[in-house]
Amino acid sequence: MTEPLYRLVYISRNEITGDDASVRREIEQILEKAREKNPSANLTGALMFNAGCFAQVLEGPHDNIQDTFERIQCDPRHSRVSVIAFEPTASRQFSNWSMAYRSANSEASAKFSDIMQVSGFDPAQLKGDHILDLLNQHLLESEQSS
Amino acid sequence: MPNESVSSLVNSIKSSSIGIVALDADGRIAFSNPAFCEMIAFADPESAGGRSLLDHLGSRFNCSVTDLQQALKLQVPASLELRLERDSQPLKLQIAAAGSGLRIVVAERQSASTPQYALEHDPLTGLGNRLLLDQVITGWKPSAPDALSLAVIMIDLDRFKQVNDTLGHGAGDTLLKLVAKRIKSATRLSDTVVRMGGDEFVVLHTIGLQPIGAESVAARIVELMSRPFLIDGQQVNIGASVGIAAINHGTDSIADLLKHADLALYEAKAAGRGNVKFFEPLLAQRAMERRNLEVDLRRALGLKEFTLMYQPQVNMSTGALQGFEALIRWHNKTRGLVSPVDFIPLAEELGEIHAIGEWTLRAACKEAMSWDGDFTVAVNVSPIQFENQRIVEIVRDTLSSTGLAPERLELEITEGVMMKDYDTAQKHLWAIKDMGVGIAMDDFGTGYSSLSYLNSFPFSKIKIDQSFVRGENSPKSRALVQAIISLGASLKMTTIAEGVETKEQFDELAAGGCMSAQGYLISRPIAANTIADFITELKNPAQSRGNQHD
Repeated sequence: MTEPLYRLVYISRNEITGDDASVRREIEQILEKAREKNPSANLTGALMFNAGCFAQVLEGPHDNIQDTFERIQCDPRHSRVSVIAFEPTASRQFSNWSMAYRSANSEASAKFSDIMQVSGFDPAQLKGDHILDLLNQHLLESEQSS
Repeated sequence: MPNESVSSLVNSIKSSSIGIVALDADGRIAFSNPAFCEMIAFADPESAGGRSLLDHLGSRFNCSVTDLQQALKLQVPASLELRLERDSQPLKLQIAAAGSGLRIVVAERQSASTPQYALEHDPLTGLGNRLLLDQVITGWKPSAPDALSLAVIMIDLDRFKQVNDTLGHGAGDTLLKLVAKRIKSATRLSDTVVRMGGDEFVVLHTIGLQPIGAESVAARIVELMSRPFLIDGQQVNIGASVGIAAINHGTDSIADLLKHADLALYEAKAAGRGNVKFFEPLLAQRAMERRNLEVDLRRALGLKEFTLMYQPQVNMSTGALQGFEALIRWHNKTRGLVSPVDFIPLAEELGEIHAIGEWTLRAACKEAMSWDGDFTVAVNVSPIQFENQRIVEIVRDTLSSTGLAPERLELEITEGVMMKDYDTAQKHLWAIKDMGVGIAMDDFGTGYSSLSYLNSFPFSKIKIDQSFVRGENSPKSRALVQAIISLGASLKMTTIAEGVETKEQFDELAAGGCMSAQGYLISRPIAANTIADFITELKNPAQSRGNQHD
């Protein structure tokens, strides 16, 4: 029997400071760590970020989400974590684990577009889901207020 | 050995849970497997090669490496235990020579099941327990310049009980485990983290400059505890309050550390949730004073140190005496007169208010029976007294044992009664009202003054707070007083103004329709033994005035 599937959606404030190069270094580290850990934990989803905030969707078994979330919670690179949804879900919306820079500013987006490609982020996966739509809006608003 | 076997051996060593390290003649790491790097907390295993093992241990941990140093000097096989962190299981090391000065060290983590380990640890969270804490505290000595102080960081979770009550003990246990991990993540490896029991944790912070070091750990813990937890498919939010005490920073003796951290925690909780407070000597002094006051208060009834004073209440249109409000006074032998403002809150906290309140009720009713006339007696009742299921019975017993007619008794209650347990308070008050006892709403207008209280509780009287009476000359206060009076009239409740001090206030209130008044203008609270004279004088004003002229 397969374990029940859960989905976690949260946003948090980006606390990474420094120039583009150091931001990139931190982001790449997050990407690397997640790509190493998430597949074996049977987790899929997406991490979106910009200068102001992080927004993450994690799908997978309950306890694996809990473990990963605990690790994420103790990460000093973000703060003010706010869970938007944590609930059982019928199916996965993401086929892998990916990462993307979501910004209203196309110049900034271009700077990190390679990360989106490396991680296989597909913006189409955000469409048509109310929560993910809200998430996207939060992201862009937080960028403005940061 | 064929290449295949070599690579399979290397792979096995790499994936083994047993730590393996080869050291050269100078004690530098020639080879180490991931398990070993993890055991000694090498952040980057790749860079382990060429580093001195002893130097690393010395700089990374606050542990003694003397035994290991000795064993590595001798060219004979040795086995020893190495405890890296105070509250961790020790590593079991086997050391063997491997030719040309090379030494092989095999490291294995001690199982958690040794009796000593079990004795010193909390089975649920795996953290140390009270016993371990006491051992580490008593064994602590100032050492390196950055380890001159020892700080106790005491953590108490906010709202843990609600999690237990609503999601069950299983969820509560999971939460404690996650909390333990988060606390550990905020501390250094050299710190000792223990669970004191329940939802209380302690971090012993040994390295770093105090108090800044401990304060930053505490702030981090508060922050981590305020972030959501995911438990049993639910989002759970709690918080933490923290108290800190540190040697040489307000605390001189190791024996006082825990006590002082506890006092600081008490202060943090009193300041509201999510606070960090550092111990200061003033807190100990305050706690001592509080304790002394507590002891004196608990003895006050037995020593008959309470007395009641009675403040007259008059009808505003006729000036006739209606009754008295009984006011408690505490005369302590050493303290002198203690104000109710100072001891009633403590009596409420200690639960002494039940006995004090019952004594007051009885003494006031008994006193009223001795008066020449059917004057009423108003007695203040604390919201805490309504937590006692017997409150109705106490009132009934008092009336029957003193023989006072129920109509002559009036209980003054504040809205705190209704806010605590609305349904129970309502039930009790109606039962008391049904006996014929009057119920007055005290301090009306100062708190939430919810109009729904007036609607659903059996009030016979509204008492207008003295702050409005004193402000009678301001148009706003006057309008508020007027509104309260009309409210009372429409709801068929009488109104009484307290703190009436001047003739102008009296006249204004009377003109506005307020029915009764009390205050210095009429009379200060008077002693029981002067009431008879007071009543006589009021009954025969002309005569007594005439007497004075004689």
